[in-house]
Amino acid sequence: MSIGNPRISGGVALAALLAFGTILGTSARADEVNRATLYGDMTTVSQDMLNRAGQDANNFLMTHGDYTQKRYFPNRQINTMNVRHLHPAWIFQTEVKETQETAPIVVDGVMYVTTAFDHVYALDARTGAELWHYKQPLGAITTYCCGPNNRGVAVYGNMVYLATLDSKLVALDAKTGKVAWQSDIADPELGYSETMAPTAVDGKILIGTTGGEYGIRGFVKAFDAKTGKLIWTFSTIADNSTGVWATKDATGQDLHRDIAAEKAALAKLGDPAKKLGGGVWQNPSVDLANRRIYFVVGNPSPDLDGAPRPGDNLYTDSLVSVDLDTGKYVCHFQYVPHDLWDLDAVSATVLVDAKDEHGASVPAVLHAGKTGFVYVNDRKDCHLIRFSEAMVPQENMFALPTPGVGTRMLPGANGGVEWSPMAVDPTLNLTYAINLHQPMHYSVKSAAYPDGKLWLGGAFTVIPEEEQWGNVTAVDYNTGKIRWQVKTAQPMIGGILATAGGLVFTGEGNGFFKAYDSSTGAELWRFQAGAGVNAPPSGYTVEGREYIVVGAGGNAQVDSKRGNNIIAFTLD
Amino acid sequence: MPTWILAVFAALALIAPAHADGIAEKVTLCASCHGENGVPVDAKIPVIWGQNAGYLYIELRDFKRGARASEVMAPVVADMSRDEMMALAEYFSKKPWPNLAQKPADAATAEHAQAVANSAQCSQCHLAGFLGASLVPRVSDQGYDYLLTTLEAFRSGARANNAWMTDLMKAYSEADIKALAAYLAGL
Repeated sequence: MSIGNPRISGGVALAALLAFGTILGTSARADEVNRATLYGDMTTVSQDMLNRAGQDANNFLMTHGDYTQKRYFPNRQINTMNVRHLHPAWIFQTEVKETQETAPIVVDGVMYVTTAFDHVYALDARTGAELWHYKQPLGAITTYCCGPNNRGVAVYGNMVYLATLDSKLVALDAKTGKVAWQSDIADPELGYSETMAPTAVDGKILIGTTGGEYGIRGFVKAFDAKTGKLIWTFSTIADNSTGVWATKDATGQDLHRDIAAEKAALAKLGDPAKKLGGGVWQNPSVDLANRRIYFVVGNPSPDLDGAPRPGDNLYTDSLVSVDLDTGKYVCHFQYVPHDLWDLDAVSATVLVDAKDEHGASVPAVLHAGKTGFVYVNDRKDCHLIRFSEAMVPQENMFALPTPGVGTRMLPGANGGVEWSPMAVDPTLNLTYAINLHQPMHYSVKSAAYPDGKLWLGGAFTVIPEEEQWGNVTAVDYNTGKIRWQVKTAQPMIGGILATAGGLVFTGEGNGFFKAYDSSTGAELWRFQAGAGVNAPPSGYTVEGREYIVVGAGGNAQVDSKRGNNIIAFTLD
Repeated sequence: MPTWILAVFAALALIAPAHADGIAEKVTLCASCHGENGVPVDAKIPVIWGQNAGYLYIELRDFKRGARASEVMAPVVADMSRDEMMALAEYFSKKPWPNLAQKPADAATAEHAQAVANSAQCSQCHLAGFLGASLVPRVSDQGYDYLLTTLEAFRSGARANNAWMTDLMKAYSEADIKALAAYLAGL
């Protein structure tokens, strides 16, 4: 299906060169407010609205749909029978033609999207008309490894919350885009940065940090939604980070560790906690009943060199749960102790009820790893219930990186599943993950910590002669079995949406945005967006009409074609 | 020693006692090598007009710390404060990128370079169009000689302030690096 007669609305499409030249030096232009086309009257997003976001077929209130992060949109107007008629309702062109990972948020007919370099747009969700546009005036120093990404905003009360590349948390007036307050999260010159959307819950704004490639000490923080004051900080690196000296990963595979050498290094170097990395850059899921949050912690620093960081490196590469109100530790489970491959835990956690080892339904938490497994853990104590069949080829798993050209191993360092959030259809007990197959060489070389600069301890390079591809995989989380799998032409990054219409929507780097039958994986519709579709789709309904919306702006990490489009689709 | 290096030391000798409040004199000093109009006076000297401010600051900082070795730059930055470095970085970042009149690489070289760039995942940091942002330099249309010298210096470890670039460049051949430099210079 091709673009019929899309209405190009709002926005100024600047050439990429021009955009780059102007973005960094400009200040906020929140006065660019067009009040005339506001639909509805968003006065406040209440906690009650957020609590039942998963059943809200009009709005899309959180990055991953609701606090369970199922990315399951409950409207069935667009469904397996009619999705072939889906077409663009409008296309909005942002000012920024660079890597696009935003998850559109929709509240009462108003859509909030972000772009690379921390722009926020409020749009009329029916027409794509711009209501306001905010540009964060970024400082000269922003430190990030994998593109100037932003994954969207949080909405709460009458505010829109943005976390920025220069590590600030910004509260904007939802009606005007004017700054209400701004708080420092951490020092960007030390390697801290923000690419994730915040999570708003019970008067708190939760935020993690990137920086696992820069020798940071990771954290999750809670700020007061009204004032921007810090409420609590959880350090994702334990003071005693050495752990139990595990020799196997969560699935029982040998990690080839030299424990004696590590213990000798520990005696000499001490605990490496201070520069151990452990970023958190996807939203935590929130278990409201137990007042706990669940998130995954990323790789240790430096990525490929274990010499300066003896021990299990807790809580890197782990599922962690903390108390929502206090930020105190509840439990953790480490997937890959002493990671040397950047095969870390990134994709957002998802809360479901799943069968435990004895067949009883228990509150569980899902995570899709770069390893290519979906892990199912018990929410009570974080222990692993099961892991799925491998979704991508795993070869020479956990072979140690070597000097020089390096060791070939699969999956490559982007996964498996990168940051791309999964979606869940709870009526089918299926979770949907998008994967990369990207053969890489892993090489190691020790280097001193370079003061907040990229610190990989080696290199991972894509093997040019080998084929790359991706897939969409449906996993039954009650059994760990793959229900269906569809191969895609290119490695996949972006995210996926499931709907009550029996569909899953996901995009590819080559510009295709596709709908599949969520029961079978049959492709039912495709659209060519002209730029990489590497962002998580959202669903919403205005005046009784259902829409699916996605960003098509390409991706820095897989270097897909850049664009600047937000595309909303609907039926006639 | 090339004459332009002597010129730097001569300029330094004049400026050092001045204790100027602003950065105007330092800008003049910079221009003696990096060019009055942004075109460097020697092909091995990088373009700094229009370069990303964060990158310029970090390099000045690293010259001062000795993390990036340069017998020319070390004395230039020896007494510079962080604020002065930031101000210089901001100043030059706002200048337009000069026209070096470099020709695009031929098709075979471009194809070769793109394969290398894909393998090394250059765009993860240097972004679309190799324009970089903040701490990551623009490398498109940078001078060929400087690019080649720099990539080779990373590869040999002579440029030691970005270890990951050394690790990355070691994975590629001299021919790969030449193709990359030619391709980037011609963008």
